[in-house]
Amino acid sequence: MKPKVAFFDFAGCEGDQLQVANLEEDLLALLGQVEVVSFREVMKEHSDNYDIAFVEGSCTRLQDEDRLKQIRKNAKIVVALGSCAAIGGINSLRNYKDLDSVKKTVYGDQAKLFDSYAARPIDAVIPVDAYVYGCPIDRDDFLHVVKSLLLGKKPETPTYPVCVECKKNENVCAFERGQFCVGPVTRAGCNSCCVNEGTICWGCRGLVDNPNENSHKEVLIKYGLTVDDAIGKFRLYFGWQEAKR
Amino acid sequence: MKIISKKDFDDFINALIKDESWNVIGVKSRGSKFAFGPLENAQELRLDYDVTLLPPKKYFFPQRETLFTYDLSGGFSAKNPDEAKPMVIIGVHPYDIVALLHMDEIFRETKSDPYYFNKRKASVIIGVNMQKMSKWNFSAYMGCAVIDYGYDLMLTDLGNRYAINTGSQKGEQLLAKYAKNVTPALARDIQIAGQKKREILSLSQQKFDFPPEFIPELLKDSYSNSSFWERHSEKCLACGSCVLVCPTCYCFDVKDNPDISLEHGERIRTWDGCLLEDFAKIASGENFRATRPTRYRHRYFKKGKYLFDRFGFISCVGCGRCSSNCLPNIANPVDLFNDMYNESLNNGAQAITATTHPEVNIQTEGNIDYVPKLATITKKVPMTLSETLFEVKLDDGTELGHKPGQFVEVSVFGIGEAPISLSSSPTVKGAFELCVRKLGNVTTRLHKLNVGDKIGIRGPFGNGFDVDSLKGKDLLFIAGGLGIAPLRSLFNYVLASRNDFGRVFLLYGCKEPKEILFGEELAALSLREDVDFRSTVNFCPENEVWTGNIGVITTLIPQISFDPEKTIAVLCGPPVMYKFVIADLKAKNMPDENIVMSLERRMKCGVGKCGHCQINQIYVCKDGPVFNYSKIKGVPEAL
Ligand SMILES: Cc1cc2nc3c(=O)[nH]c(=O)nc-3n(C[C@H](O)[C@H](O)[C@H](O)COP(=O)(O)OP(=O)(O)OC[C@H]3O[C@@H](n4cnc5c(N)ncnc54)[C@H](O)[C@@H]3O)c2cc1C
Ligand code: SF4
Ligand code: SF4
Ligand code: SF4
Ligand code: SF4
Ligand code: SF4
Ligand code: FES
Repeated sequence: MKPKVAFFDFAGCEGDQLQVANLEEDLLALLGQVEVVSFREVMKEHSDNYDIAFVEGSCTRLQDEDRLKQIRKNAKIVVALGSCAAIGGINSLRNYKDLDSVKKTVYGDQAKLFDSYAARPIDAVIPVDAYVYGCPIDRDDFLHVVKSLLLGKKPETPTYPVCVECKKNENVCAFERGQFCVGPVTRAGCNSCCVNEGTICWGCRGLVDNPNENSHKEVLIKYGLTVDDAIGKFRLYFGWQEAKR
Repeated sequence: MKIISKKDFDDFINALIKDESWNVIGVKSRGSKFAFGPLENAQELRLDYDVTLLPPKKYFFPQRETLFTYDLSGGFSAKNPDEAKPMVIIGVHPYDIVALLHMDEIFRETKSDPYYFNKRKASVIIGVNMQKMSKWNFSAYMGCAVIDYGYDLMLTDLGNRYAINTGSQKGEQLLAKYAKNVTPALARDIQIAGQKKREILSLSQQKFDFPPEFIPELLKDSYSNSSFWERHSEKCLACGSCVLVCPTCYCFDVKDNPDISLEHGERIRTWDGCLLEDFAKIASGENFRATRPTRYRHRYFKKGKYLFDRFGFISCVGCGRCSSNCLPNIANPVDLFNDMYNESLNNGAQAITATTHPEVNIQTEGNIDYVPKLATITKKVPMTLSETLFEVKLDDGTELGHKPGQFVEVSVFGIGEAPISLSSSPTVKGAFELCVRKLGNVTTRLHKLNVGDKIGIRGPFGNGFDVDSLKGKDLLFIAGGLGIAPLRSLFNYVLASRNDFGRVFLLYGCKEPKEILFGEELAALSLREDVDFRSTVNFCPENEVWTGNIGVITTLIPQISFDPEKTIAVLCGPPVMYKFVIADLKAKNMPDENIVMSLERRMKCGVGKCGHCQINQIYVCKDGPVFNYSKIKGVPEAL
C-alpha cells in the first residue's frame, strides 16, 4: 500500500509547498510512490488519515501548538518542511526585537488581539523525524529526504557547512569578490546553490550543529564588516538557534 | 627541446579541439580566478594563470563519481560505468603534476583503483612552467616548482614562442599528429628557457625557516603537544576548504543514490575531508576525532608524516591552495611548520635534522572491485532484541574463502554498505555467518530482510588472525558484547582442530543477561572439558535470572590461572574495554606481543583508499582490523 502523505502550513509563505508543486515530472514519479491526501497548494480535499505529514511554517502562537500535536498524533512520520518549520526561519528575525513593537507594525491597533509569541521551529513543540531545510527548500534535497523515508532510511543530513559544496563547485569565494557570506557556519545540503549563481549564502538552512561563530564573526570583521553588521549577518535565519545556544 | 610559435601552438590546440575523439581541457579564467575546464577554442586558454581554484585531480578523481548503477527490478544487476574518453589537459603547473604522481601511488597501493586509472591512462598531460606564482605558493621549497618528469609535454613561454620538452611517447605522438612547424630548439632558446626556469624559483613570497625535509622529524614529537594544536586550531571553522582544494587529498565518502522509482540507482563516491566533523564518527555515536584540534592536527600529520612513513614523500606540493582558501588563515603549512620549528628551538630542542627515508615498497595486486557480489540470506536467527545472526550464500556458488577475523562489506542496495565481521569459521563450507547489531541505516534495514532476500557482499577484507602463529599456544579469548562475533570465527576454527592448540579460555562479558549472544552455543561450551568458559554481566535486572558472575569483564581475569608467557590473549569488544583488560593482563606479566585485538573504525571503502578508518599512519581496514598490541601501543589514536 502506498504511504499517505499530507501537507500542512503554519506561519510561513507556503513557498516550500510551491517548490514541491513545481517538481513537475519528478512530482509525477513521486506521486506513483505515495498517495497525497491533503495538499492545499494543489487540491481541495483533505483527510486526517495519513502516514507522513509535511509541516511548513513556524509555530508563532499558542493555538498552533494544539494543531501540531494533533498532526503528531495522526502521523507516523513528521517532516519539518522548510526553514520556518525546521529552525524557526525568517520568522525568528522578530525574536530579536521587542515583541510588542513587532505586533504593532504587523497588526496596527489590533495588536493586542493577537497572542503571538517568539517564533519557533516545530520541534520546539513536537518531536520531528526528518528535516528538509532551506528557504525555500531545494528540490533535490526534498526528493532525497522523501526517497530516504520511502526506503525506511533516516535521511542523511550534512553536518558540515555550505563551504564544502561551494569548494566542490569551484566557485570564487564571496569574500574574494568583496562580499560577505554565512556559508562557513550554515548547514550544507543545497549544493551551495546561491553561491553557484554568483551571490552569497544567507544562511537559510540554519546553523551547523557545532558552528564556530566567533571565528566566523572575526572573518567578517577582518574582511571589513563592523561588529554590529557582523552580528546582524546571523540574524536573518538563526534567531531561534542562536537564542538556544 | 623543441620550439613552436604561439600562432602554431594555437593551431595545435584548435586541431585537437576539432578532433572530437579528444576531450580537451585547459586553464580558463573564472571570475577573477582560474579553473580547468573544457576548451572551445585556443583563445580561451590562459597559460599566464597563477593558480587554479581546484587542481586537475578532479578529472581523475571527480567531486562526485558513479561507482556502479544497480537495478533491482527483475532480479538484480549491477553495472560498471563506461570506459573513459581520451583526454588532454593543457596548462598543468609542475606542482600539480607532482601531486598527480602522489595520487598515482595512493590509488595503486595494494590494489589499484580502476576508476582513477582508467581516466589517468587515457589522458595526456601538457604542463606549463609558471609565469605567475600565487603569493601563497611554496612549491619551490617542496622541490615541485620546476620538474623534468611526470608530464607528456612541458611548455615554457619564451615571448612569441613556446619551448616544448617532451616527456613521453604519447606527447611526442600528439605533437607529430596535430602540431605544425615544430622545430628543434636552438642553443639560444635552450639558454633562455633555462633562465626562465631559474627565475621561477625566485618568485616565491613564502619562506620556510628551515628545510622542509625536516618536517617528518619535527612532527614526531609534536603529537602530544595539545596546547600547540589547540592554539593553532582555535579559529577552525571545520569547513574542510583546506582539504577539498588540495591536489593530494584523496579521502572520499560512499553513498547510495536511488532514483525516484526506488528500483534503480547508483552508488557514488564524493570528496570528503578529515577536517569535517563526522569524518571518523561511527553508528554507535563514538567519534574518534571529535574535536577541531584533533582533526586539524590529523591533516598536518597526514601530509607531513603519515604518508611519508608509508610512501616516502611529504604529501604536500606547496601549491598554497589550502592557505588561500582558509578564511581564518590558519591552514598555511609554512606558517604552522615555522611556528612548530621555532617553538621547539625555543624549548631547547637539539638541532633538528631530516629523517632517513623509510623503506618503501608499494605493491599492486589486481584491481579494487567496488561492485559487490550478489548473495542470498539463507537463514535468519534473531539473537537478542537488537542482534540477529544471518547465514549468507554467494549466488555464484563460490566460497568466500575468508580467514578468521576478516570482514565483508555488506550492501543493501539503495541504503548503503557496512563492514561486518565474519562470525563463522572458514572450516564451515557453503555459507558464512554474520552477526549484526541494529544501529543505523544499513543494519536496521538488514534486520528487516528475510530468508531469500538479496544482499551484496564485497570482501573478505582485512588481515584476519595469524592462525599459524597461534598453533601450539594457550589461547585466552576475551570478548565484550558484540565483540564475540568476530572472535567466534577464530574460536570455532580452534575448536575444529582443537589438538593444534593448548589450553583454551573464553571470557565473555555483557551488560545484562538479555544481551548475551550465541547463548546456546556458549551453554554447550560449559559442558566441554577442553574449554574454560566463563561469562559475566555488569548487572542483572530484578525480573531476570542470572546465576553467574556479576561485574565487568576484568573481574573474570583473576578467576583463571594461565601462563602469561605461553598464552596469547585475543581481545574484541567496545573501545573502552581494551584499556582495562590490557592493564590487567600486563599486571599478570603478559608480554605485549602476546596480546592481539580487533579494532573498529568508521569505514567506507574497506580497501585502504577512502581514509575513513585511519588511525595515525594505520589503515584499520587494510593493515587490520587485527593488531598485535606491541605494534600499536605506541600509536596514540589506537586505544
Ligand atoms: C572491521 C569491522 C567489523 C565490524 N563487525 C561488525 C559485526 O560483526 N556486527 C555488527 O553488528 N557490526 C559490526 N561492525 C560495526 C558496523 O560496521 C556498524 O555498526 C555499521 O557500519 C553501521 O552502519 P549503519 O548504516 O547501520 O549505520 P549509520 O549510522 O547509518 O552509518 C552510516 C555509514 O557509516 C559507516 N559506519 C558507521 N558506523 C560504523 C562502524 N561502527 N564501523 C565502521 N563503519 C561505520 C558505515 O559506512 C555506515 O554504512 C564492524 C565494524 C568494523 C569496522
Ligand atoms: S562563498 Fe561562502 S560558502 Fe562559498 S566558500 Fe566562500 S564563505 Fe564558503
Ligand atoms: S546557499 Fe545558503 S542561502 Fe542559499 S540555499 Fe544554500 S543555505 Fe540557503
Ligand atoms: S580551511 Fe581553515 S577553517 Fe576550514 S577546516 Fe581548514 S583549517 Fe579549518
Ligand atoms: S597541503 Fe596545501 S599547499 Fe600542500 S598540496 Fe595541499 S593544498 Fe597545496
Ligand atoms: S586524511 Fe589526508 S587525504 Fe584525507 S582529507 Fe585529510 S589530509 Fe586529505
Ligand atoms: S581506507 Fe576506506 S575503510 Fe579503510
